[in-house]
Amino acid sequence: MGAYLEQSFGLQNSLVFILSAVVLLAIVLGFVTYSIYFQRKILGWMQLRIGPNRVGPFGLLQTVADVLKLLLKEDIIPKAADKPLFIIAPVIAFVPAFGVLAVMPFTDKLHFADVGVGLLYYIALSGITVLGVITGGWASNNKWALIGAMRSAAQMISYEIPLVMSVVGVILMTGSLNLIDIVEKQKEMGMWFFIPQFLGFIIFIIAQLAELSRTPFDLTEAESELISGYHVEYSGFRWAFFMLTEYVYIFAMASLTTVLFLGGWLPPIEYLSFIPGIIWFALKFVAIVFFIFWLQATFPRMRVDQLMQMGWKVLLPLSLVNILVTAVLKTVL
Amino acid sequence: MLGFAKGMAYTFKQLTKKKVTHMYPDQEMVWPERFRGIQHFAPEKCIVCNQCARICPTNCINLIGKKSEDPNKKGKVIDTYDINFEICILCDLCTEVCPTEAIVMTTNFELASYSRDELFKNLEWLDDNNTNVRGGDA
Repeated sequence: MGAYLEQSFGLQNSLVFILSAVVLLAIVLGFVTYSIYFQRKILGWMQLRIGPNRVGPFGLLQTVADVLKLLLKEDIIPKAADKPLFIIAPVIAFVPAFGVLAVMPFTDKLHFADVGVGLLYYIALSGITVLGVITGGWASNNKWALIGAMRSAAQMISYEIPLVMSVVGVILMTGSLNLIDIVEKQKEMGMWFFIPQFLGFIIFIIAQLAELSRTPFDLTEAESELISGYHVEYSGFRWAFFMLTEYVYIFAMASLTTVLFLGGWLPPIEYLSFIPGIIWFALKFVAIVFFIFWLQATFPRMRVDQLMQMGWKVLLPLSLVNILVTAVLKTVL
Repeated sequence: MLGFAKGMAYTFKQLTKKKVTHMYPDQEMVWPERFRGIQHFAPEKCIVCNQCARICPTNCINLIGKKSEDPNKKGKVIDTYDINFEICILCDLCTEVCPTEAIVMTTNFELASYSRDELFKNLEWLDDNNTNVRGGDA
């Protein structure tokens, strides 16, 4: 892929770009379909239920049926909504979610763009999704949607800072923002970053849950308070796009955690390196996704005032301490 | 902090536990003896005392009696007997009040239909509804 990117833009390489993007999109859509299925299954099992089991064998086609239903639904735009903004909001939300995957290295060979500032690109682009959320909430012309969008914006902005601060430790130790370099550094050190950067890892996990608006930070959805937050007025395929954004971010965040802290495609011990890297990547990735759903089955929602206190008074100082300690250790050692 | 771990361990253990879901439409449910379902009506037992129609809180029972064909017999026999399940609340009062147990509860309850007309059940239908009768004798 790198070789293609260096060529001048032509018919052949643009075809390669489009095809590879379509293949990635298909993989991501497949992941989204079955992560929703497994989310429902795991939540069901943990609540002593069975989970979806009617559509197709073991309910495997449940999500497919749900999506089909969403796509066939009547396209409703509320009369008092701001029409152009209402239409463009799901697009603004989704495009960055897919765009961040461009820099994600799945293995040392299998990646799209090898950007020098890959991590910065990821964080900067993922911040744009909040704009889509706010646009959607505002354009709906609905107080619940607006409150949901405001909460979402406040939460995303508050937690973006500790999220970025927590990875600064990793960046300091690697000396690079390139995601492939970060994994190579972990190979060189012989241990994954979650051991030397344990505090950073914990902060990152908490902040990423808040970024993804998953339980216990699902205040933006808050089914019992805000009906469903910023997308109350959305239905059909526009709503499907918001949902898709949410799950594509799970994909992206789980990949990022794998790369930053769990050694990406590296095997846990050198002896196991005969198993291809992509398998190791997938295993770690699946473990993180499972962990997210596991938390969802366990914890209640946080209160909105506690959320801000947690972000600004606990996570931010801790991440600053983490940076300081990392910097001091790097200079001393 | 320990509390988080405890909670996580608890939910994790739930994963493999036996599920409490009853596979209802695939497996039949076994209801307790006093479950209140659609009534079974035995016309030969009915003495047309009208008590069920009078006690019914929603007035969903309609019945008409006629003179017995046997001239030696006193009293009436039942001619038509309808229960409107659009409004019947299955309160069990008609079966409690019936002196001859001509009307009794069953544990059948599946009333869903595509037309509201089908919810209007007549004497023959209620007579044929003789499965799962309370007390076990149809």
